Amino acid sequence: MRSKAFVRHSACIVALVSGVAFLGQNASRLYAQESIETPPSKVERKNQAPVSGEVLRVKLPKPIEAKLQNGLTVLILEDHRTPSVFVQLHIGGAGALYEPPGITGLANATAQMLREGTKTRTSVQIAEEIDRLGASLGAGGSFGSSQVALDASGLSDNFDSWFALVVDVLLNPSFPRDELEKLKQRLRAQLRQQRSAANFLVNERFNRAVYGDHPAAIVSPTSESLDALTQEALMKWHRERYAPQNALLGIAGDVRAKELIPQLEKWFAGWQRNDVERTRPANPVAATSRKVYLVHRPNSVQTTVALGNIAIDRRSPDYIPMVVMNHILGGGVSGRLFLNLREEKGYTYGVYSDFSARRYPGPWRAGGSMRTEVTAAALVEFFKEINHIRDQTVPPTELEDSKRAIAARFALSLEQPTAILGLAVSRVQFRLPEDYWDTYPAKIMAVTAEDVQRVARKYLDPEAMQLVAVGDGLKIQSVLEPYGPVEVYDSGGKLTSIPKP
Amino acid sequence: MPEQPVKTAKSFVAGLIVLVSIVAGTVLESAESDYDRTAAKSTKSFDVPFKEFRLNNGLRVILAEDHSAPTYSICVTYNVGSRDERPGRTGFAHLFEHMLFQGSENVGKGEHFILIQNNGGSANGTTNAERTNYFETLPANQLELGIFLEADRMRALNITQANLDNQRQTVQEERRQSFDNRPYGRTYEAVIETAYVNFAYQHSVIGSMEDLNSATVQDAVDFFRIYYAPNNAVLSLVGDFQMNVALSLIKKYFESIPAQPVPPTPDVTEPEQKTERRKVIEDAFAQAPRLDIVYKIPPGNTPDWYALSVLGQVLSGGVSSRLYQKLIKDKEVALSASAGPDERRGPSLFWFSITARPGIDLAALEKLVYEDIERLQNQEIADWELSKVQMQLRRQRAQQRYSTRARANAFGHYVVYYNDPQLINSLQHKYSQVTKGDLQRVARTYLKESQRTVVTTMPKPATAKAAPEDR
Repeated sequence: MRSKAFVRHSACIVALVSGVAFLGQNASRLYAQESIETPPSKVERKNQAPVSGEVLRVKLPKPIEAKLQNGLTVLILEDHRTPSVFVQLHIGGAGALYEPPGITGLANATAQMLREGTKTRTSVQIAEEIDRLGASLGAGGSFGSSQVALDASGLSDNFDSWFALVVDVLLNPSFPRDELEKLKQRLRAQLRQQRSAANFLVNERFNRAVYGDHPAAIVSPTSESLDALTQEALMKWHRERYAPQNALLGIAGDVRAKELIPQLEKWFAGWQRNDVERTRPANPVAATSRKVYLVHRPNSVQTTVALGNIAIDRRSPDYIPMVVMNHILGGGVSGRLFLNLREEKGYTYGVYSDFSARRYPGPWRAGGSMRTEVTAAALVEFFKEINHIRDQTVPPTELEDSKRAIAARFALSLEQPTAILGLAVSRVQFRLPEDYWDTYPAKIMAVTAEDVQRVARKYLDPEAMQLVAVGDGLKIQSVLEPYGPVEVYDSGGKLTSIPKP
Repeated sequence: MPEQPVKTAKSFVAGLIVLVSIVAGTVLESAESDYDRTAAKSTKSFDVPFKEFRLNNGLRVILAEDHSAPTYSICVTYNVGSRDERPGRTGFAHLFEHMLFQGSENVGKGEHFILIQNNGGSANGTTNAERTNYFETLPANQLELGIFLEADRMRALNITQANLDNQRQTVQEERRQSFDNRPYGRTYEAVIETAYVNFAYQHSVIGSMEDLNSATVQDAVDFFRIYYAPNNAVLSLVGDFQMNVALSLIKKYFESIPAQPVPPTPDVTEPEQKTERRKVIEDAFAQAPRLDIVYKIPPGNTPDWYALSVLGQVLSGGVSSRLYQKLIKDKEVALSASAGPDERRGPSLFWFSITARPGIDLAALEKLVYEDIERLQNQEIADWELSKVQMQLRRQRAQQRYSTRARANAFGHYVVYYNDPQLINSLQHKYSQVTKGDLQRVARTYLKESQRTVVTTMPKPATAKAAPEDR
């Protein structure tokens, strides 16, 4: 690898470190995939491919970090490859996590309404100006999140013009009543529309199951909570919750940080600190016994399943071993779940696992969709793989391959300025050490087979997992019953029972 | 990822042809769409410098160095898609795409993904009506790996009954997940089946369950020999490598793969449509009716196609667009609305797709769309609308330049479709030729009733005593 690779990122150091050679192992040696029957089609490794045994280690360019006088944290990553600029503004404390009861959807609606009118611009004017400038601007917040975000991007040629609009909608929204009514109508229509998708139904039930009383249990507003959205409520939320000292502004692209920071001071001069109460709800805790939920979706030809339980928060010391464990089990197209259920059994187009680690603990979760007829067999394989990673230490080669995969992947993030910025943003938001991403590959490489088994045992307890299946209840209820008492819901989200055929 | 045929017009030109792929989730269709006229104030050039080679066996090679990140992407695009399938074998081109991950002489079944992932890369394959492509993005020090993997399967694919059966099941699951178990999952097929008469474009890429069941090992062996030859493919490489090193590796692994007779070119011509066609389908999952209105238009990369592409953006590109402002915001009759052309080498379709608000009079909604079309036919669009489209294209083009994969895939697209890799740089000029008069003219020429197909997707009434819905 030539060091001249980084003509753009002069801050980068590219070095080759000796990686873990995985060549030379026994040909055709497979990862342990025990199976009672002989699979019709077996994953096989021939180890003939020319692979560089080294991991291309990259040092990520670091954005310039600044704090404006009003307390707004700013991260600027210069990247002059194209005349593009990407802006993301995260406003902590303004997310759905803090919503008062009965007005679910307030945080997202407030954010969405920002672009529907300001003191000097109508909704249509904002839309036309943004589009004329070739820019994009959106705002929103997801359920369970402590923050809302504004996302904008455009050309550097006219950055001042479109960024002024971003600032205007942030600081001077007028929340016009007629536009609010229109937004509520659109959101109401979505309430119904989203119920047609199996993925929505599985998320709704799974989050209910794992989060319990925690606000992250909610994934959608209701008709009643939308009724409660008023101009006054949105204005109050904006006034009280959009505080600069809790916000983080990330900018990546064709800008000059040195010139931009003084400008930002001017742009945001009118944004004043205020006191925001940010008491987070009590953390969710992992369920202690297995529960099974069936969402009856008539006419389904597949069963969409999710299973898992609350695991860790982002700052947990188990985060790094969890990354490795999850990668081995279900982190992609070389994960055990994918290779077993798809490549060998042909049950599915894809099954994966992931985990959500935020300021509070979130779930580890595995899932996918498979044809109704193989639901029972697929569930057996899911639990088999979970038990396998708990009961047996990961073979050395598989462990080294996984760690290497995670470490080597860093190079790809250097293509996209937003990817690098995103890593820096998460470092700041979760108050991770300054050198967190620089030392991340080394931390990954230090994970042992015992670490992997330990976190699998700790967080992947099959006896305590929440299991959700969305599909044709007439055909799959009996398949689910061996896993525990089955609670049945209809696709409207209401407790029900399966009609007898 | 199987893209839903028409959703929001988030990317200009992209996504109107259904694309199915080996794994869900990672496909970015690389619709390179540029437009640059008044906007060209910046001195920065968007041009992608490249060199073109042809090996003795006919394999075309495009190399574009870019050292701005320590990565590269390789893409092999084969000139074969669902339009090359014969009746009784719909879905075969895509099923065959899956077979390319089932092992070859020196690569085991499933090992392709393992090798790519273990070395920090990502990979996928996609199929549409026109072509099939395979691509990998890897750290720059794994240059040889990507070249080797693509060559090994072009040279000596391992086709077995067990692997074919396994992937047939996977593809059938893909069909269920992406079409049969989804709202509006059957709409796309209903539209092309009605709009087209010629089999080549009349059937879907994913194909029917029945035809997938009929595919045999012999079909696969024949298909591989006929279409997966070096002289029927283009290899594009973009990123952090030295051209001479890359070229010698490509020669080392590819040059000895023998050429094959040139495959037949499918007949994609359509008889002239003389009257409107209409169809109504029922959808067990949909909660709201959807209206799909399509018009026959010329092939991609023609002046009129570019004009129609700009027209699509005027209608549905961004929140200020005509359809969004009128149907979604103002009259509140639609949940979503998009418009734009799909891109084929033969007769293409200009596609309106509008999800109605439940309870709305569909005939009235349809009439509103026709009013907008008449407005385009009778009045020139405003200056700001045209300059808006120019700016949006310029931004998209700039943002797409970061990805080596987007560029590698674009080269494959332009060479296989139009035999013109230079299009990656000249597309901008083609768009800049479009005038307001052109827009009016193409609206009059193509968006007319006799060339129209209308498919209405209606929510299927719930059967009695089934699980009650909440409203």
